[in-house]
Amino acid sequence: MVIKTKKILVPLDGSKNSIRGLDMAIHIARQSQGIIVALSVKSVPGIYAIHPLGFLDFNSTKELKKTLDDAKLRAAKKGIKLISKALSGDPGYDIARFANNKKNGIDLVVIGARGRSSAKELFLGSVSNYVLHKSKKPVLVVK
Amino acid sequence: MTNNFKTILVPLDGSKYSKKALQRASEITHAFDSKIILLYVAEKSSINLLDRKEYLKMVKKFGKKNLDDANKTLSKKGIKAKFFLKEGNIVSEIEKIVKSEKCDLVIVGNKGLGTVTRFLLGSTSNKLAQHSPCSLLIVK
Repeated sequence: MVIKTKKILVPLDGSKNSIRGLDMAIHIARQSQGIIVALSVKSVPGIYAIHPLGFLDFNSTKELKKTLDDAKLRAAKKGIKLISKALSGDPGYDIARFANNKKNGIDLVVIGARGRSSAKELFLGSVSNYVLHKSKKPVLVVK
Repeated sequence: MTNNFKTILVPLDGSKYSKKALQRASEITHAFDSKIILLYVAEKSSINLLDRKEYLKMVKKFGKKNLDDANKTLSKKGIKAKFFLKEGNIVSEIEKIVKSEKCDLVIVGNKGLGTVTRFLLGSTSNKLAQHSPCSLLIVK
């Protein structure tokens, strides 16, 4: 196998589209014997930087954890190793930064074409678009 | 799994980014046993109204050379590829081919030969990302 995608980043937000992206990533990882890094970003509006109680939003943290656990199960069923990571901040910015960080050694970003905020843009989600523009690694947009 | 990459479309424009895309496509083909379709679109620009015919001829010649080159590199790796030479708007021609050939994946470079290279993502790649009906791999 000459394919060089060993570490695949899959940003998850719990939407159907992101699950499709995960399926695609699993498919690729099986071919290349790679591992998947699932990244879930809790969206924290900038205002909470001044108002620290915003971080104590336990509900969404729980939801995040559930998404990541689901993903882990899905990958484990197919025999793929999945590392889950959770961050909080601005989704687009943090995903792009995570992908570009050399320490993480990401080879490919697989992203769903649309996430949860589907009403914002008709065809491509705003976060996907942001990641597409800012990432220095190859991006696979799954439709 | 329904998402097998059976047919892969690689639009070329002769830039080094499209060469990168081609290389990536050949890697994927090895892994997934898929077919490659090469495409060159000669853009009909509205600027050169006077010497349009000649211009188009030149562009087509350039495109043909590109396609032949790409075909050669692929056949060295033992991959057979179909190729098309079209004229018209780049994005809409790509979409047409995707529909008619039932492609599963489009691989493009992040920038092309466009004169005004944007910061990181070219205009054609951007438009494709917004409109393309199938998955898209952007090689950086």
